[in-house]
Amino acid sequence: MKKKVLTVDDSRTIRNMLLVTLNNAGFETIQAEDGVEGLEVLEGCNPDVIVTDINMPRLDGFGFIEGVRRNEKYRAVPILVLTTESDAEKKNRARQAGATGWIVKPFDPAKLIDAIERVTA
Amino acid sequence: MDMNEIKEIFFQECEEQLAELESGLLKLNDGDRDPETVNAVFRAVHSIKGGAGAFGLDDLVSFAHVFETTLDCVRSNKLEPTQDVLKVMLKSADVLADLVAASRDGGSVDETRTRGLVKELEALAHGDVPSPASHEAPKPAAKAPAAAPKAESPKPTDDSGFQPIPFTFDDFGSDEPAIEGSTYDIMFKPRRELYSKGNEAALLLRDLSRIGEMSINCDATALPALDKMDPEGSYFGWTISIKTAKSEDDLRAVFEFAEWDCDLEVKPSEAESSDEELPMIPVPFDLSALDDAPAVDDKAEETLAAAVAAAETASNVAKAAGAAARAEKKETAAAAAAQNNAAAAAAAAGQTIRVDLDRVDRLINLVGELVINQAMLSQSVVENDATGTSAVNIGLEELQQLTREIQDSVMAIRAQPVKPVFQRMSRIVREVADMVGKSIRLVTEGENTEVDKTVIDKIAEPLTHMIRNAVDHGIETPEKREAAGKDPEGTIKLTAKHRSGRILIELADDGGGINRERVKQKAIDNDLIAPDANLSDEEIDNLIFAPGFSTADTISDISGRGVGMDVVKRSIQALGGRISISSRPGLGSTFTMSLPLTLAVLDGMVVTVAGQTLVVPLTAIVETLQPEASAIHSFGATQRLISIRNSFCPLVDVGRILNFRSTQANPVEGVALLVESEGGGQRALMVDAIQGQRQVVIKSLEANYTHVPGIAAATILGDGRVALILDVDAVVAASRGQSLKAEMSLAATG
Amino acid sequence: MAAKKAGSGKMKLSAVLDLNEASALHGQLISMRGSDIVLDASGVERVGVQCAQVLVAGARAWDEDKKSFLVEKASDAFEKTMQLIGINPANLVAKEI
Repeated sequence: MKKKVLTVDDSRTIRNMLLVTLNNAGFETIQAEDGVEGLEVLEGCNPDVIVTDINMPRLDGFGFIEGVRRNEKYRAVPILVLTTESDAEKKNRARQAGATGWIVKPFDPAKLIDAIERVTA
Repeated sequence: MDMNEIKEIFFQECEEQLAELESGLLKLNDGDRDPETVNAVFRAVHSIKGGAGAFGLDDLVSFAHVFETTLDCVRSNKLEPTQDVLKVMLKSADVLADLVAASRDGGSVDETRTRGLVKELEALAHGDVPSPASHEAPKPAAKAPAAAPKAESPKPTDDSGFQPIPFTFDDFGSDEPAIEGSTYDIMFKPRRELYSKGNEAALLLRDLSRIGEMSINCDATALPALDKMDPEGSYFGWTISIKTAKSEDDLRAVFEFAEWDCDLEVKPSEAESSDEELPMIPVPFDLSALDDAPAVDDKAEETLAAAVAAAETASNVAKAAGAAARAEKKETAAAAAAQNNAAAAAAAAGQTIRVDLDRVDRLINLVGELVINQAMLSQSVVENDATGTSAVNIGLEELQQLTREIQDSVMAIRAQPVKPVFQRMSRIVREVADMVGKSIRLVTEGENTEVDKTVIDKIAEPLTHMIRNAVDHGIETPEKREAAGKDPEGTIKLTAKHRSGRILIELADDGGGINRERVKQKAIDNDLIAPDANLSDEEIDNLIFAPGFSTADTISDISGRGVGMDVVKRSIQALGGRISISSRPGLGSTFTMSLPLTLAVLDGMVVTVAGQTLVVPLTAIVETLQPEASAIHSFGATQRLISIRNSFCPLVDVGRILNFRSTQANPVEGVALLVESEGGGQRALMVDAIQGQRQVVIKSLEANYTHVPGIAAATILGDGRVALILDVDAVVAASRGQSLKAEMSLAATG
Repeated sequence: MAAKKAGSGKMKLSAVLDLNEASALHGQLISMRGSDIVLDASGVERVGVQCAQVLVAGARAWDEDKKSFLVEKASDAFEKTMQLIGINPANLVAKEI
C-alpha cells in the first residue's frame, strides 16, 4: 500500500516541488496551504507522515504541530518540519511543539524521501 | 509537471510575494504595528528564499537571507521599524525584486547597491540587538544549545550516511567479516518524549541495523509490573554492538531526530571483533522483510533457534507461519479513506485556478466573433421579418442578451486590480525622490479597482513617466516647500476608480502647480501658439501635452511639467483613453486619465459620413443634436461655430478632416455630435446621419492593416461590413492643429 | 478496538501496535489477567516499542500468575520487529544483560 503524506506549506513553489518529489517516489500526497487547512484535511486523510512548513499564515507550523499532537486519533503521526539549516531556534521550538524530525531547506528530493523513510515503518 | 514548470510557478509566486512584501512595508511605514503585517512581510521574504534555494539561485538566497534576518529582528521586537529602518527595508525590497528579475531573465543587478544594502541590513540587525549571536548567526555551529553537546545535525555533506548499504544474503552470518570497518558500542535509552513526538525506537534500531552488522541487547529491567506501568512510558533501553564501515558520526546521525529525547552513547568498541563473545541476538538487517516478508534466511533461523534455546523461561512456544488473512473490515475502511482523501484534496485545491493568458485571450476573441456573428444573424432576420414578431426574432433577442452576458463574464476573467501597477509606482517614487533629494510619500487609493489586463499592461509605462515627472518637476524641493509654508515632505496621490463604464486614474501632487507664464512663453517660443494668443488657464495647462512642446534641453529648465507629456498623451489615446490636467498655482496639479475598461469591446454610435460607416465611441459623446441654420455661425473661409445654449462651440466636419470629401458639408443636413475632448473643451463633430448604437468588437487596424490618422481601430458590423472607429481626440486635435493659430489670431484681432 | 477478544483467553492483536494502541492493549491485558491467554499476532503489521513493553510486562505478569501466555501465528512484521529490538518474539522475553 502506498504511504500517504500530508504536506502543509503556503508556498505554491514548495507545494509543487513536494508533490512532484513525493509522487515520483511513489507516495500518495495530500496538500494543505496552511496550518488551519492542514488540521481540517488531517481529519479523514489518516496520513502515515506529515511534512509541514513553519512560516505560514493563519496557523503556523508550531500551532499546527501542537494541534496534531492534541488530536487523539493522529497524535502519533510522525511530523517532519521543513526548516533552514541556520535556524536552530526554530528547530528547537518545533521539537518542543512535538515535531518528529526536520528536513533542511532547500530540500533535495533524496533527503526528503530519506527523512520520510526514517520516521515511517 | 517538471522542474521548469515549477520554476515558472516560483517566479509567479515571487511576484506575489514581492507585492505582499512591499504593501506590508508600506503599511508599517504608515504606522501599522499589527504583528500579522510584520509576519506577512517576513513570510514573503522567507518564501522567496525557500524557493530560490530549491533552484540554486544563490545570489537571491543570500540577499533574502540577510533581509529575512533583519526582518526577524523586527518580528521579535528587537528592532523598532522606524521610518529610517523602513527606508532601508523598502530599498531592500526593490533590490530583492531586481534579483528575482535577474534570476528569471538572466540580467544583472547593481552589485554595489546590493552590497551596500546588505551592509545596512546587517548593521540594523546587529546594531539594535542586544545579543545578535543568538539570532543572527547564519551558521548554527557557534550556538549549539547546551542540551545538545553533539553536533545537532549532520553536515550537509553527510547526507549519504542514511543510505542503506548494499546487502547480499551471502554476507549475512558468514564467518568472514562481511563488512570492513570498526565495531562500535552504542547505549540507547529513549525517554517518553521520544515516542510522544512521533519517533519510534524500533525504527531507529531498524535504521541502525541497516548500516552495519548489529547485535542487540534489550535492557528491560526498568519495566514495572503490568498493573504499575504507564503504557505510554519508556522503559526499554538497549546496548548495541555494531560493525560498520561507516563513521561514528554516521551512527549518531541515525539518532539525529531523537537525540534530545534519549540517552545516547556511541563509542568505538574496546574489544574488537567481540561479537562472538557477547551473547547478543544478532539482528538480520534484511529489514525489507518488515514490509514484504520474504523467506527468512536459514542462518538467521538457526541463530534465532539458538537464542530461543538459551532462553530462561520455559513457556510454550506456539509458532506458526501465519499467512495473514487480512480482515475484510480493512478494505472497507480503505475505501472510505479514499473517499475522504478525494474530498480533502478538493478542499486543498482552493478557490482559484490559474489559466494561461493565451487561453483567455483566445476565448475573448472567440466571444468577440460570436458577438459579431450574432449581430449579423439578427440583422438578416430583421431584414426578412419586417414585423419583428416571429419566434425567431424573439429567440434572437434572448440570444443577444445571453451573448452580451457571456461577453461580460469572459471579460471579467481578464479583469485585474490595478494594484500591481500602483505598487510599482511606489518604488519609482522612492528611487526618483532619492535621486533628486526630495522627500515624497505616495498615497494610493482604489488599488483594487479592476480593469482588463491588457489595459493594465499598457498603463504602466505612461504612468511611470507621469510619476517621474511629478517627483522631478511637480513636487518642490524641501527647502522651497518649507519656505512656502508647506510640509517639507511632498505627497503624490494615485487614485483609481470606476466612472461610467471607464476607469479613472488620477495622479495628484501637492507641488507648485504649472507655471503658466513659462509654459505659455515656451509654447510661443516653440511656435505652438501665436504670441498674442488669448488662452484660458485650462488651455495653457494643456499645452504641455502638445507635440513638440518640450525638447530635451529644456527638461530641467521648466519648473512645471512638460517632459514628453505628448508621448504620454499619445499612449493614453492609443488605449482609447483621455488625459487632462488641472493645476492650481502653489497647490499642485492633478492629471486625470480616463481609460476604457477593456480594449476588446466598445459601445459605439454608428454614423454615416460621406457614404462611409464610422463608429464613434459612445463615451466621447456628450449629446447629439440637429443643428438649425440659425445656430451656425461662419467666419473666415472655413471656420464655423455652432451656438448651443448661448455658448459657442467649434464645428468640425468629420468628413473633411478625414478627407472623405473635399468640401464642407452643409451642417443643417447632418447631425452634430457634441464631444468632449480632454482639456480642449467641447467640439461639435458633424456627421451625415446616425445609424444606431451598438456594442462593437474592436479589431486593431495596426495589427491588420496600418495606422490611419484619426482612426482608432476597426470593427465588423452585423451586415459584415467593416466600419472604422473614430479616434475622437485625434480628430479634435487635428481640427485644432489646423485652426489653432488662426482662431487665436482672429480672437485677438476681432 | 485495541485488541479483539476472540473467545475466552484469546485475543487478536491489532494491525498497528503503535503509541495510540499501547493504552488499549494494556487495558485489554489487565482485564484478562488470571487465565491462560493466546495472542493471535497474525495480523500485526507494525509494532512500536511501547506496545512491546506492554506485551513483555504482560508475559511477566502471566508468568507470575503461573498461567500460560502464548503468541501464535506471529506475522513476519511482528517477529522481525521483536528481534530487532532484542525481544524474543516467541516468549516475549527480553534478552537482558
